[in-house]
Amino acid sequence: MNFFKRAWLNLTAKKGRSILLILVTSAIMLFVLAGLLIRNAADTATSNAKKSVGATITLSANREAAFKKMRSSTSTSKKSKPKLTTSPVKLSDAKKIAKLNNISSYSATVSTSANAKGFDAISTSSSSNGGGMGMKGGMSSSSSSGDIAISGVTSTASTSAFEEKSSKITKGRGITTADEGTNNVVIESELAKEDSLSVGDTIKLKATTGSKKTYTMKIVGIYKASSSTSTEQGPGATDPSNSVYTSYTFANTVKGSKYKNTADSVTFNVSDPAKVSAVKTAGKKLINTSKYSLSTNDSSYQTVKASMDNVKSFADKIVWLVAIAGTIILALIVILMIRERRYEIGVLLSLGEARWKIVAQFFVEMVMVLIVSIVIAGAGGKFVGNKLGQQLVSQQTTTATTSSTSTQTQGGQPGGGGGAPSGGSKPSGNMNGGTPGSSSSTTTSQKQTELDVSVTVLDLVELGGFGLAIMFLSIMLASGGILRLQPKKVLIE
Amino acid sequence: MLKTNDLGYWYDRQENSLFEHVNLEFKSGTSYAIVGQSGSGKTTFLSLLAGLDKPRAGQIELNGEPINKIGLTNYRKSHVAIVFQSYNLFNYMSPLNNLLTAMAVTESSHRGDKDYAAEMLRKLGITDEQMKKNVQKLSGGQQQRVAIARTMCCDAKLVVADEPTGNLDEENTKYVIEQFQKIAHEQNKCVIIVTHESDVAKACDHSYRLSKHEFALES
Repeated sequence: MNFFKRAWLNLTAKKGRSILLILVTSAIMLFVLAGLLIRNAADTATSNAKKSVGATITLSANREAAFKKMRSSTSTSKKSKPKLTTSPVKLSDAKKIAKLNNISSYSATVSTSANAKGFDAISTSSSSNGGGMGMKGGMSSSSSSGDIAISGVTSTASTSAFEEKSSKITKGRGITTADEGTNNVVIESELAKEDSLSVGDTIKLKATTGSKKTYTMKIVGIYKASSSTSTEQGPGATDPSNSVYTSYTFANTVKGSKYKNTADSVTFNVSDPAKVSAVKTAGKKLINTSKYSLSTNDSSYQTVKASMDNVKSFADKIVWLVAIAGTIILALIVILMIRERRYEIGVLLSLGEARWKIVAQFFVEMVMVLIVSIVIAGAGGKFVGNKLGQQLVSQQTTTATTSSTSTQTQGGQPGGGGGAPSGGSKPSGNMNGGTPGSSSSTTTSQKQTELDVSVTVLDLVELGGFGLAIMFLSIMLASGGILRLQPKKVLIE
Repeated sequence: MLKTNDLGYWYDRQENSLFEHVNLEFKSGTSYAIVGQSGSGKTTFLSLLAGLDKPRAGQIELNGEPINKIGLTNYRKSHVAIVFQSYNLFNYMSPLNNLLTAMAVTESSHRGDKDYAAEMLRKLGITDEQMKKNVQKLSGGQQQRVAIARTMCCDAKLVVADEPTGNLDEENTKYVIEQFQKIAHEQNKCVIIVTHESDVAKACDHSYRLSKHEFALES
């Protein structure tokens, strides 16, 4: 294998040319590596998003079927006033779905309202200034239901508002499954401030329906809702500070005895968002679809996925463009190098060296250059990949955020039912009325689309593979000159 | 050792052939000079003998076997050593590495033997210091000596040289010719030198003149 030695001698003897070759190859390898790193990081980010963003399936009353039923009954008896009748979700049905594969947890939500007794609810001014929050005794927003919106939940921690940090427990604790069957309540900090309430105090709530019974509630926690959420309240909604969290069992009690062991909706967390459709199909088989509906929400996952797919696609293009351009550049350099070394090739041919061994010598020289270049690219690749990746992600996330926000604006209806806080889990912009925290879903996706660009041995091996392919193609393109070269013409004529 | 049978060569038309029906024989242990005017075709004839080109007519036989049967690459590798006017050494190597590379490529029986290569260089007046320098740092005469040493290191029984003294002064010319004679007589090789210098031709055992498309033995 004498051509190895010749290659080494050539590279070490012509240091200037070798350094230039290393610099050019390093630049090409650096961009290939940056592309590979971004692509791999986008892959990792997408799979991380699957794990962390998650997706949900919500079991609720089938309103579409209920509307159909209402219309058909109205057409038959035209004299009666149309009435929409929906069935609350039975918890026994929810438990069946919860046993399906890929369901990690579930939480029930019951929304109702009651009137404050012995303390004052916060009234929102309807002045055009739009502020008015926290004004005690102002013009009361009209509501046929109670002035305190009760959100009965399995646990506050699993609600979107708390998960997305738009609401935070500032004192005491949140509602947990241990609160089932109790009258424990978590109230908003503004309400607590205005009525000088603190953890451990009791408040009274008077039901607006049924027996109109008064309940004594024990404050176990105080939460702070982000100020931006107040602007999301629709007409007819009470002030967000009047939203309180209780166990769903208490909310059911307030609504009436017929609501025992039911919920307005039950939200299931799906551990693998890619399996959402399969879980939904399996879940449908377990429920009466004329009464209940299963709706999916994997928007956060889809937002992250779309963003990462774009980054990945761009990174792929970078890799291929640089690989093609690199091959062309290196092929031209090798062609020039071969022209410059015609005499050397001629002498080798005159000595009886096989042409393939001469081609192999050039290939070995380029591989030696490649090895040094990979080391250089490996050192600089993380920096370039990080800069380029973050630039790409910031562009992609901006696009994704814009589209995601516009979707939510279209989807989110002004809240009915007294503006109870969102009882569901992660999904936002749903039909559950005013949703403190719905605006923060994009923040979540932004956090999760950060690329972790790091150079691993596997990346360098992949880069080496690309480099070898580029070198091989370049040498093949340029070796035509060697194969055609006639030693007589070079050495004698 | 080497025989040409009805050898002919032309570029575009046979009517303008450089030579035709050449029947010569070259023997081992003998040196031959081929002289002629510029453009007469003597270098082309040499390139055919060296296996660098194919004849248009006839054939060349090495020990009775046509060289095209041996294969030109194999023929050059195992049977011929070539010395050029412009030395044609590997310009990025030392004299020692030039010899070692040639020995490796031609699969010489001494391949890899540094001492043998150094001894050959010393015989031709290249000092130990010079043999480790880059070959381009040597004078023209020294480079030609390295080129001759390269032929001595290889096992080839046929040595062909194209104007080997063309770039050398009188003293170096004399020295180089002496070396070729030694190669022919001491190593029992067949040496064929193309030259336009009469002194070089006279120093060889036999001399052929190529004139008007025909070879004629001068001495």
